[in-house]
Amino acid sequence: MSDTKKQGWIVSSLVGLRDWTNDRLPIVTAWEKHMSKYYAPKNFNFWYFFGVLSLVVLVIQLVSGIVLTMHYTNSAEGAFASVEYIMRDVEFGWLIRYIHSTGASAFFIVVYLHMFRGLMYGSYKKPRELIWVFGMAIYLILMMEGFMGYVLPWGQMSYWGANVIVSLVGAIPVIGEDLLVWVRGDFLISGATLNRFFALHVVALPIVLIALVVLHLLALHEVGSNNPDGIEIKKNKDENGIPKDGIPFHPYYTVHDLVGICVFFFVFCGILFFAPEMGGYFLEPPNFQEANPLVTPEHVPPVWYFTPFYSMLRAVTVPLFGIDAKFWGMIVMFGAIAILFVLPWLDRSPVKSIRYKGWYSRIALLIFTASFLILGYLGTVGTSAGRTALAQFCTVLYFLYFFMMPWYTKKEDTFPEPERVTGRWITGKQLLITLALLAALILLPLKAVGAESHNVHLDEVETDLRDEASLQRGFSTYMNYCHGCHALQYARYERTANDLNIPLDLVMDNLLIGDHATGDLMSNAMQPEDGNNWFGKVPPDLTLIGRIRSPEWLYTYLRSFYVDESRPWGVNNSVFPNVGMPNVMHGLQGDVICTNAEEAASPDECHLEHVAGTGDLSPEEFDTVVADLVNFLYYIGEPVRLKRQSIGVYVLGFIAILFVLVLLLNRDYWRRIH
Amino acid sequence: MSEDGTDSGRRRFLLGSTSVVGAAGVVGAVVPFVGSWNPSAKARAAGAPVRVDVSRLEEGSILGPIPAWRGRPIFVVKRSQEALDALPTITDQLQDPDSTQPEQPEYAQNAYRSREPDVLVLIGLCPHLFCSPTPRLEIRPEPFEANWKGGFFCPCHGSKFDMAGRVYNNSPASRNMEVPPHYYESENILVIGEDEGSA
Repeated sequence: MSDTKKQGWIVSSLVGLRDWTNDRLPIVTAWEKHMSKYYAPKNFNFWYFFGVLSLVVLVIQLVSGIVLTMHYTNSAEGAFASVEYIMRDVEFGWLIRYIHSTGASAFFIVVYLHMFRGLMYGSYKKPRELIWVFGMAIYLILMMEGFMGYVLPWGQMSYWGANVIVSLVGAIPVIGEDLLVWVRGDFLISGATLNRFFALHVVALPIVLIALVVLHLLALHEVGSNNPDGIEIKKNKDENGIPKDGIPFHPYYTVHDLVGICVFFFVFCGILFFAPEMGGYFLEPPNFQEANPLVTPEHVPPVWYFTPFYSMLRAVTVPLFGIDAKFWGMIVMFGAIAILFVLPWLDRSPVKSIRYKGWYSRIALLIFTASFLILGYLGTVGTSAGRTALAQFCTVLYFLYFFMMPWYTKKEDTFPEPERVTGRWITGKQLLITLALLAALILLPLKAVGAESHNVHLDEVETDLRDEASLQRGFSTYMNYCHGCHALQYARYERTANDLNIPLDLVMDNLLIGDHATGDLMSNAMQPEDGNNWFGKVPPDLTLIGRIRSPEWLYTYLRSFYVDESRPWGVNNSVFPNVGMPNVMHGLQGDVICTNAEEAASPDECHLEHVAGTGDLSPEEFDTVVADLVNFLYYIGEPVRLKRQSIGVYVLGFIAILFVLVLLLNRDYWRRIH
Repeated sequence: MSEDGTDSGRRRFLLGSTSVVGAAGVVGAVVPFVGSWNPSAKARAAGAPVRVDVSRLEEGSILGPIPAWRGRPIFVVKRSQEALDALPTITDQLQDPDSTQPEQPEYAQNAYRSREPDVLVLIGLCPHLFCSPTPRLEIRPEPFEANWKGGFFCPCHGSKFDMAGRVYNNSPASRNMEVPPHYYESENILVIGEDEGSA
């Protein structure tokens, strides 16, 4: 009795508070307009998840980004180290950083799919032109966000990527050079550039982004959602003025979207916990090296989401009207984005959806998609004559899709639109044929222009982060043979000892150099000038070498020193020709000679042979020592790797459970809707 | 079953269980973000216990340069017999002469507020508004106290402390100066910042 009475009191006062507020701020009205009485077509399919997913990713990026700024240092001197500080020293910093870096790529994946949905179903056509324009503005701001955010870790790719893109400004005739200096705030990309990019990335652009998202949604809710059939549900209303094919967004699409959100989180966390680098596409290996204005990495591909436009930039190789090719490349690249804005006025078709458009439109969309994906792939690899020709061809196709649109959409025979929305889905056969066609259109041209050339042969090596004995031996080898010249300046003694299960006193007594405390970073005492004088190059820090280079590379490299009296230290290396480093483990390994020194044009063509009887260890024992060292370097590159994977298992398990519940809930709501 | 054919029991169960599991997920997702505000490995390394050599500390003087622990000044003072003898004579002028308030570890809750009778270890901050008091170690008349038995005087608001860091009556401060956890690793090596055996 008293319970219901009490509940009644709470509910009535909550209702009172709601009504009081609503009289002053229309919260109930807003809820009804945008959620409970927003009628969305009931035939949304798979493609309609990506709008809400974009919102989810936006929130992920805002929350993780705000926390990152609490630990990040925005200066050229401190930025790189502060990112490693976040990855190693801040509690759960690694997780928050991976959330943000994975979120950046996830953002573009969902936005690209969302845009493709718009292309397919004609969501840009009257009366939704403004929604599309706001959407394109979001996309443009998002690209600026992505670009500037990528500069902040201040790695080699950050630096050189920024250098390449910012230099485009210099291609503008007459004012370019001065403008370039102004944009950078310096005569090169420097701390001044980093600081302004930081301010834009964390404050200015997010504000614009959020404002545009609000406009995008307000405009959408004014005219109503499109659907796979591309027909207006508002044409068929019942006696209450409610569209017959509409259904309240809440609760029907809220539960429906939850299913998509669960699947999204499953994939997102799968990447986050098990492949945060995503094979070098989400986090590029050279970016684990601090920015160096004097050395360009061998290959500077932008992050994957920019590669289609980057390909177009590179594809323009001829000067025109006495102006550099570089300028025209920039025009083409920005033009490719700009033309998207006018799409609503290029499409003259009487129907919206690809379902009822004619064959010209269908083929055009297929070719356009294939061209875009080919350009995307080409942007991730180096150029060759064939690849450049293909990129040029695809660039032309990309633009033809838009330039020809007024003609082919008007000329073609369309199919009759239905009166009411259909619940139909693409059939399995249609899907397979489309995918097969797309795959053929992408793979055949790429095959024709040739595959990547193969690299040097590398020896296999096992890394096992659970093998504590191996890691301990590797740590000891590192301290004895490497730490004199190299450093592990982002890692700490104490954490390393704990992870490797080495008693702290043992580390303090045997491994600690000078007056270091156990919590200190493992820096060393060598002065950079000494390094330059002795080796011609400062020995690089090795904390991240296991992320820059593969374990196989390190293993092969360390075993590939051979006698070469022409070199300053009397040794050369067949994996890293003319390296400045001496063979520090020569005492253990003994002599290795290049048996074909006369014929070999360069060190990497050498056949190496160990001189029997030299060295303190047998070749097999030496291989084990190097393998342990590599295992340790692989560990120290990302100490949290094992923990990350074990947390990931629980997270994925949890999402799977939530998914089942949400799926059942969704079925329960949609049981009687047809 | 309600009139539109939905099984409301099933609906309620699904809504409830999804909400509970979802809420658990939100809590789980919040954990790393909350955790990221904890002191980082860098802060913990900087706040680690400090070791000081007290062999060069002379009687009647304070250890200089003043060591810091977690960014706070640490006063290490070697008291003369005369100063120690004066401690019980002024108890009627002190607010908490027997150190009843928890401003010191248990092993320092004694007449000297120290492990070794002569060596006093204090966090050099006034408990009033955290200025650092000035050591006035000698027994001699001072402008602020004619009958000064040695101690510390806070320049900010005039709080007075004796040679055990105990606060005088009529001071803005109402607590004794804090004694940090400390122990002797060997005869002359004093570890400040942790109790013996907790490492």
